[in-house]
Amino acid sequence: MFGWEFPPHIAGGLGTACYGLTKGLAHHNVEVLFVMPKASQDEDQRYVNIIDASNIEVDPRYTHLKIFDKQVSFIEVHSQMVPYIGMNEYYKIVDQLESGLFQEESGGKVRKYHFSGKYTENLMTEVEEYAIVAAEIASKYEFDIIHAHDWLTYKAGIAAQKVSGKPLVVHMHATEYDRSGEHRINDLVYGLEKYGMMEADAVCAVSDLTRKTVIEKYGIPAEKVYTLHNAVEPTGKQIDRGKFVKEKIVTFLGRVTFQKGPEYFVESAKKVLEKDPNVRFVLAGDGDLMPKVIEHVAELGISDRFHFTGFLKGSDIDTMFGMSDVYVMPSISEPFGISPLEAMSASVPVVISKQSGVAEVLTHAIKVDFWDVDAMADAIYGILHYPALANFFSVKGKEDVDNLKWDHVAEKLIAIYNHLRKP
Amino acid sequence: MRKICIHFQVIQPHLLRTYRFFDINQNHNYFDDYQNNYLINRLANRCYIPANKMLLELIQKHKDRLFLSFSISGSTIKLFQDYCPEVLEGFKALVATGNVEITGSTYTHSLASLNNKTSFMEQVKLQENYLKDVFQVLPKTFCNTELIYSDEIGEWLYEAGYNVVLTEGARHLLGWKSPSFLYCNPYETELKLVLRNYQLCDDVTLRFNDTGWDQYPLTAEKFIGFMKSIPTEAQLLNLFWDYETMGVLQPEETGIFNFYKAFLEQICVSDEYQLITPQCITELEIPSSTLHAPWAISCSGDEKDTNEWLGNELQQEAFEQLFKLEELYLKSDNPEAKLAWLRLQNAFHFNFMSTKWFPKQAVKKIFDVYSSPYQAFINYMNVLNDIKIQLESSQSESTKQKSKYIKSEL
Repeated sequence: MFGWEFPPHIAGGLGTACYGLTKGLAHHNVEVLFVMPKASQDEDQRYVNIIDASNIEVDPRYTHLKIFDKQVSFIEVHSQMVPYIGMNEYYKIVDQLESGLFQEESGGKVRKYHFSGKYTENLMTEVEEYAIVAAEIASKYEFDIIHAHDWLTYKAGIAAQKVSGKPLVVHMHATEYDRSGEHRINDLVYGLEKYGMMEADAVCAVSDLTRKTVIEKYGIPAEKVYTLHNAVEPTGKQIDRGKFVKEKIVTFLGRVTFQKGPEYFVESAKKVLEKDPNVRFVLAGDGDLMPKVIEHVAELGISDRFHFTGFLKGSDIDTMFGMSDVYVMPSISEPFGISPLEAMSASVPVVISKQSGVAEVLTHAIKVDFWDVDAMADAIYGILHYPALANFFSVKGKEDVDNLKWDHVAEKLIAIYNHLRKP
Repeated sequence: MRKICIHFQVIQPHLLRTYRFFDINQNHNYFDDYQNNYLINRLANRCYIPANKMLLELIQKHKDRLFLSFSISGSTIKLFQDYCPEVLEGFKALVATGNVEITGSTYTHSLASLNNKTSFMEQVKLQENYLKDVFQVLPKTFCNTELIYSDEIGEWLYEAGYNVVLTEGARHLLGWKSPSFLYCNPYETELKLVLRNYQLCDDVTLRFNDTGWDQYPLTAEKFIGFMKSIPTEAQLLNLFWDYETMGVLQPEETGIFNFYKAFLEQICVSDEYQLITPQCITELEIPSSTLHAPWAISCSGDEKDTNEWLGNELQQEAFEQLFKLEELYLKSDNPEAKLAWLRLQNAFHFNFMSTKWFPKQAVKKIFDVYSSPYQAFINYMNVLNDIKIQLESSQSESTKQKSKYIKSEL
């Protein structure tokens, strides 16, 4: 399996999804060899068994990790690339690296990349390099299926497919249409996505919505495109309900980018606050639209009730959910969207856009069109003011989420694998 | 000769428009006039107009044999008056034949009987006044919203002058008994209970066009055959249908009109069967026993209980908040707000909030108005909040003791 991230170092839902999927596969006795560009060696310590690289006869650049009782292994290919992002954000992160905002770890024999200003070339160079490494891995390991997650890994997947002759599954967690919108498509990315899907023996799409995009916008034959909805990993942790302010809290949590529709959140906040000033809105996350959103909030004159937390992770997210009375995901185009599931498992009622894949699997959530800020504001207001509704959601929403298990997803995936393995 | 009592219910709601929280205390137009107009006309074209025409022709042909009864809620009559008066003329023509009995019902297809006597009686009396205005009749038979009935509701109705109640032949109530006998209320034995044979009714409503059903296709002969298989000691057969079964629940293409026509004609010429109206039953039959209904029953689902409308916390909350306003209603002199409050009691609104068979459910498929029970609940509560404000701001001084019942022309 070729991926780009794995918990806890994740930038989007991709790492979480890969983790859940591999765990689900492990429960069904499918061994997974998980290759990622750069492992931080602290991937989910409950399962990860870090094996000394010297035990494995591979290029010294690679670190070999084993998790899930030797069923999933990690191979590190050093990289600064952050998955699940478009080119714009990639540039931004690289900028931050250059400016010294992020400290790049280095140690042992890991190789460093030097970004010289020609970022486009570097990104594609890494994709190429990843493919070379993939070919090497494919020649050394025994496996039956190749499974590549998102466009950055598709070349690697194809390389492995060519070397080994094994069937290739590519997994569309997002499409370039979701990331950039209809009119700002990056041709390189689109090309890679299409190339990967055309070469693949099967394409997994995370929702019917994504499946439709793949078929209609990329021209992929429908018969090899399967919908494989994401699930949610039961955390088992108890999230404490508690807050520091007396007002109700409405939360947006996600990257502040075009795709996530943060501006619609701001607009509906304005509508709710006009009627009821005793509400606080929190926008948790960071992204390229941030300055625009902050300006917008100031312009509407609701800054005193609208708060920005910046990027949150780990326990901060749990604390945020613990404080929230409503979680809103106004995404313009969301291939799946795993965070509402996390909110619901923390008993937070959710309002999600109909333009999200997750809407296909949830019943106990309010679904509105992302552009319909009236409906969104109304849903928020309803949950805040009609306690019967909020209570009902807390209970039913959690049940909803508890029924979405990675085990079931893995079962479906195994059926696809078995289908491909047949001559 | 076995008696057959056929009853049709004609029930349509005033659907709410999308009413946002920022409309509260700003706008007081709660109903979706366009949608209500459109829907009632669609139903009229598919069902009411052709069905009324067919029944009128049959009655003219079998003047001394064909007897039927109808219940038409006040809300539905109002929709006819506002948007398709020719339908109402059709019903008036049917009533004028003298072969059609109009039964009492609630004014707005209300769930008030599940609240208390005051709110229920308000609905009953308003409907009586309305029926008097429109059809010049005073009903003695009662058909409650969704056939909801309990011993207590029976007592209220008897007190209000009714002697027959149509309700469901719910199996958990009957036990080994058959719905094909006449029963009476255990406390008011003068109140007769006419029970629906829902198996036979569902054969038409639900299964008429079900190709997977082993009895498909259903013909009038076959249906009469089912009736014959019921032991002959049973003197009665009670068939209550939603009128919309003809042409809407079962579209015209299925041959439903021909089925009803053939069925009614064959019954009319048969010497084994006699069609009668509910009021005739009381003259012809003596109840075979009392029937206890300590808890409310209805015609809903397999359970025949009230969970369809009050099964989840949202519905219970909405119901409670709704009837909390009763005192305000009684003392208010704002007719629009009062009428809106009555209309909010309509069982349809509670159907929309049901999560019983969520997400798929028959009634929601007909009225595709809300994308989820939650949107239905929020919208309903927004409207209710505004009605509350309107009622509160229109309280008349208690010294002027106003009539308890508002005029039905509202």
